[in-house]
Amino acid sequence: MYGLQSTTALKRNLGAGRLKQRVGGTVLLLGTCSLLTDISSEMVSAILPLYLVATLGFSPLQYGLVDGLYQGASAIVRLGSGFLGDKLGRHKVVATVGYGLSALCKLALAMVGSALGALSAIILLDRTGKGIRTAPRDAMISLTAPERELGLAFGVHRAMDTAGAMIGPILAFALLAAAPDAFSSLFMVSFFIGLLGFLVIALLVREPRRRRPVAEEVEQVDLKAAFGLLKGKEFRALAIAGGALGLATASDGFIYLTLREQVDFSNAVFPLLATGTALLFMLLAAPFGRIADRWGRGKVLVGGYVALLAVYCVLMLPSSGWPSLIVVLALLGTYYAATDGVLMAMGSKHLPEELRGSGLALLGTSTSIARLFASVLFGVLWTWLGVEVALILFASGLVAAMLLAVRGLRVAYA
Amino acid sequence: MRSRALVFVALSLTCVIAAAAFAVTAVRGANEKEAKSERAVAAARPQAESVLESGQPFVAFRTLDRKHPANYGRFAVAPLTAEGPGEPVLAGPSCERVTFRAGTGLCLARAGATTFPVIQLDAKMHEVRRFTVAGVPSRSRISPDGRWGGVTAFLTGHSYAQPGQFSTAATILDLQTGEVVGDLEKDFQVYDGDKRINHRDRNYWGLTFADDGDTFYATVAHSNKTWLIRGSIKARRAETIHENVECPSLSPDGTRLGYKKAVGKNPTIWRFSVLDLETMQETQLSELRPLDDQVEWLDDEHLLYREGETTWMVSADGSGEPVQWLTAADSPAVVRP
Repeated sequence: MYGLQSTTALKRNLGAGRLKQRVGGTVLLLGTCSLLTDISSEMVSAILPLYLVATLGFSPLQYGLVDGLYQGASAIVRLGSGFLGDKLGRHKVVATVGYGLSALCKLALAMVGSALGALSAIILLDRTGKGIRTAPRDAMISLTAPERELGLAFGVHRAMDTAGAMIGPILAFALLAAAPDAFSSLFMVSFFIGLLGFLVIALLVREPRRRRPVAEEVEQVDLKAAFGLLKGKEFRALAIAGGALGLATASDGFIYLTLREQVDFSNAVFPLLATGTALLFMLLAAPFGRIADRWGRGKVLVGGYVALLAVYCVLMLPSSGWPSLIVVLALLGTYYAATDGVLMAMGSKHLPEELRGSGLALLGTSTSIARLFASVLFGVLWTWLGVEVALILFASGLVAAMLLAVRGLRVAYA
Repeated sequence: MRSRALVFVALSLTCVIAAAAFAVTAVRGANEKEAKSERAVAAARPQAESVLESGQPFVAFRTLDRKHPANYGRFAVAPLTAEGPGEPVLAGPSCERVTFRAGTGLCLARAGATTFPVIQLDAKMHEVRRFTVAGVPSRSRISPDGRWGGVTAFLTGHSYAQPGQFSTAATILDLQTGEVVGDLEKDFQVYDGDKRINHRDRNYWGLTFADDGDTFYATVAHSNKTWLIRGSIKARRAETIHENVECPSLSPDGTRLGYKKAVGKNPTIWRFSVLDLETMQETQLSELRPLDDQVEWLDDEHLLYREGETTWMVSADGSGEPVQWLTAADSPAVVRP
């Protein structure tokens, strides 16, 4: 039946085909789109400080202004786009607008000069584009992958997304090494890669079709219904669990800073810490998603937070130098792989199809707002009480949140 | 769906080809520019050497000549007379910041992924050695005896705690032995009164050296405030001596510091000022524009700084008006052999 194909080609085809069968073609296409878009975005993010400070002569303070612009607006944009996708029944269109906007911003960067105002506006628009596409894209993943493979589906998507985020900076620095100061060309290359991602979703991805028979009762899609999702016992329990766990999550930046105090490594290594975590996240996201589908998503989610607790514990113990560093990065990557996609998979189960976008956006936004608070809190605790006390408080908080989450999830999934 | 797939293939091929075209053009263009620039520097070599070895004062700087874009950013020199700087002459490598003193030059070159090279040059602008410093190049100074080099770098990345926060690192280099003495943040003990400065958000920048071969000045910042510190390289120690002083630069006679004083917040507005180290009296200079640069002393009465692509001169006692001193140039370093 397979004619003259070699065994390796056969195995490869079967493998890829099996993945496609498992999660659906749409998930793989969305993953490809995210991969390309992230290459494009991270190419620019990686060199933006260099561009602003070295080439345009910005002072570090001006750069800080440009970079810190986006924090509050993202939540509203994300909720809005999730709801819009539900309301119109067109998640693909909303997501495509987001991808297109971000791609256009790269073109704009190539054309605008050094005006701080124009640059800030473009960066803000770019981040808005990201906010617009997140919820409808997650809705599409959850609407097209079979329910029992949702963990794997989200895991595969996150893995491809992270791969793009790692390739981007490598590409950017390679280009600048070969063509120093060629920032306009770099922005144009980024634009075309982002455009490619846009084309994938615009031309190849289809709107998810309703899976339930039409005769069944359909929920009216309006704001009341969207916020009414929180009335659902299971979804509310999950949202509260996600929020509580998020409140006890110290941001990566602080974890890396703590590591720097404990392990003596050169300043040049510091940006690579994030790369180490991302690498492990990328490798483990899909396998953990699969394990979540087989053994229980709640278990894997809580397991991810156990890994985070282990990070706090390692940071509290006397450091053993480089081994501590590697262990912390590995645990952090594990934490991301076991929680990021799995939470979305869990949320999907208790949301009606018509409100999938709004629901996932609510879940994602509540978690990210909680993490934002946690980040500020950790900073304050560190400054006033020292890093050890901050870690102890956060570790205790995390244990409490985990107990709360386990209890809440058991109630919800009883 | 077939037609969609075909359209996709056609458009995506266009994207790939376009991206590749931009990349290849950029690389080829850069190689051509580099070759052209190398030829120009080689052609200027005899003239450059005559300026460098003349025993007469000269100014070393970064040329920002837009009319010859291939040479933009090159280390250049110009003879210095009573009337001012003479004709610029290409002299060294392409740099982001430059400084020159006592027969030694430092060229902070373009940043790579996480580090940038610091090229040490001899009296004839030939490369002696390279240091590797983390981050993006920001400031550079050499001590009057040519022994110590100070480099400030700007560190960024997703790893940093809050978005929009920056971090700087001030590193002292031993230009005689080629060793890195240390980073003010990690390897030095800095005190505010008798309290050790250990704050999480502490940053150091803007090194300048005294002529005793050991004393240095710099800026430390934490909790949204800045201080001037004075320290000893050998003792690896420094103390704060005055508040609100950024990017200090010591005068040739060692009695005063030129610096930026923050006179407004959110956004920060600076005013160039001079601090008398004995009386601690501050004199504001007549430059009213809020510029961001580490000033360089032309002589004991005048200071140089950058505005855009022009170097300006202003009187150190606060009198007079700023005047344009050298166009298409920044990062000046005045050398009086």
